[in-house]
Amino acid sequence: MPKVKKKRVGFVIDMTPLVDITFLLLTFFMFTAKFKSDAENEQKFIIKRPQASPDTTKLPEVDLATIKVAFTDSTMVDTSYYFTMTNEEHFAKIKNNTEGLTNEQKESALIKVDLFTLEKIVREVYRVDYATGALNTKFAIDADQLLPFDWVNNAMEVLRKNNYTTFNYVTDKRQ
Amino acid sequence: MAGGGSLGGGEKPKRGKNSNRKKKKRVGFHLDMTPLVDITFLLLTFFMFTTTMATPQIMKMAVPPEREVDVQVMESRLFTIMVDEIGRIMWHQAQDELQMTDIKELRKLAVERNLMPGMKNEVITNLKIAKDAPYGLVVKILDELNLAEVEITKELQKDVIPRERKFSLNLLNEDDLAKIAEEMPADEVKEENQ
Repeated sequence: MPKVKKKRVGFVIDMTPLVDITFLLLTFFMFTAKFKSDAENEQKFIIKRPQASPDTTKLPEVDLATIKVAFTDSTMVDTSYYFTMTNEEHFAKIKNNTEGLTNEQKESALIKVDLFTLEKIVREVYRVDYATGALNTKFAIDADQLLPFDWVNNAMEVLRKNNYTTFNYVTDKRQ
Repeated sequence: MAGGGSLGGGEKPKRGKNSNRKKKKRVGFHLDMTPLVDITFLLLTFFMFTTTMATPQIMKMAVPPEREVDVQVMESRLFTIMVDEIGRIMWHQAQDELQMTDIKELRKLAVERNLMPGMKNEVITNLKIAKDAPYGLVVKILDELNLAEVEITKELQKDVIPRERKFSLNLLNEDDLAKIAEEMPADEVKEENQ
């Protein structure tokens, strides 16, 4: 039998470093992934935020209370206030102490309220904040850009009356 | 004649010293890593697409606390910017007439007004907004004013003056609405003609 020499071309790629880097990237993303909070899961509406110049300050992640003002659905017919807090213990305490909340509201992480109830809640927030001594809670107003200013102004008045004179507007980056 | 004995396919004929007895004991651990790498890439792309790294950005806002006594202001120092419900932006200084401006001119105007000679650093900017003015426009105006602040502070630093920003935000009151209606009525004629 004639000897057939197998012509070997020298293409040997060692995949080891590729797999190493892949695992590295994977663990990085696994640890930096943020999952949706309960409040975000319960949010059925969309807020189109107003645009402002980019700023280095970011929304605080702890001890944050957010007043959202949004159209209740995509038809943009009804508007409502919503309230949520990142600190769950404080939020539970506040929900218990505020009168006028239904049991269903007391269970949820994002509550739909009218201006009157919002005022009661913010007052309660101040009380709880004051009792813990630190007055740490920061407020943010997250409102849709098409809303009449009156809605946001009323929310600001509620904050002002309860001594929260500095707060934040949540915005998008200016295009 | 064929050599007998090879019935089932090719046994090596035994030759010599039992050279075939050393049987290599092969343990069957041949792990194929292909599916592992496949799943890893899958997970990686999943996490790459679902991770939100940036938290939403914010604009700081401050409102004056509840005051029992009204603060007296010098009217000549008052620079008022009014926004009506259609989104028109007008301004006036002290008790002068209203003048139109738009969002693109606003920054330049604010810088100019705050650095006017004789009143440098003492102008009080008063932003008055109609109840039904769109909130997005208000934020844009606040943004422009914030950007103007940067330029104003830079200018004042040349004269080593520390910037004291005086600013207030309110709704349009009755008098303001009357002033707008009188001096800058909204164009209703256009709609009729069309």
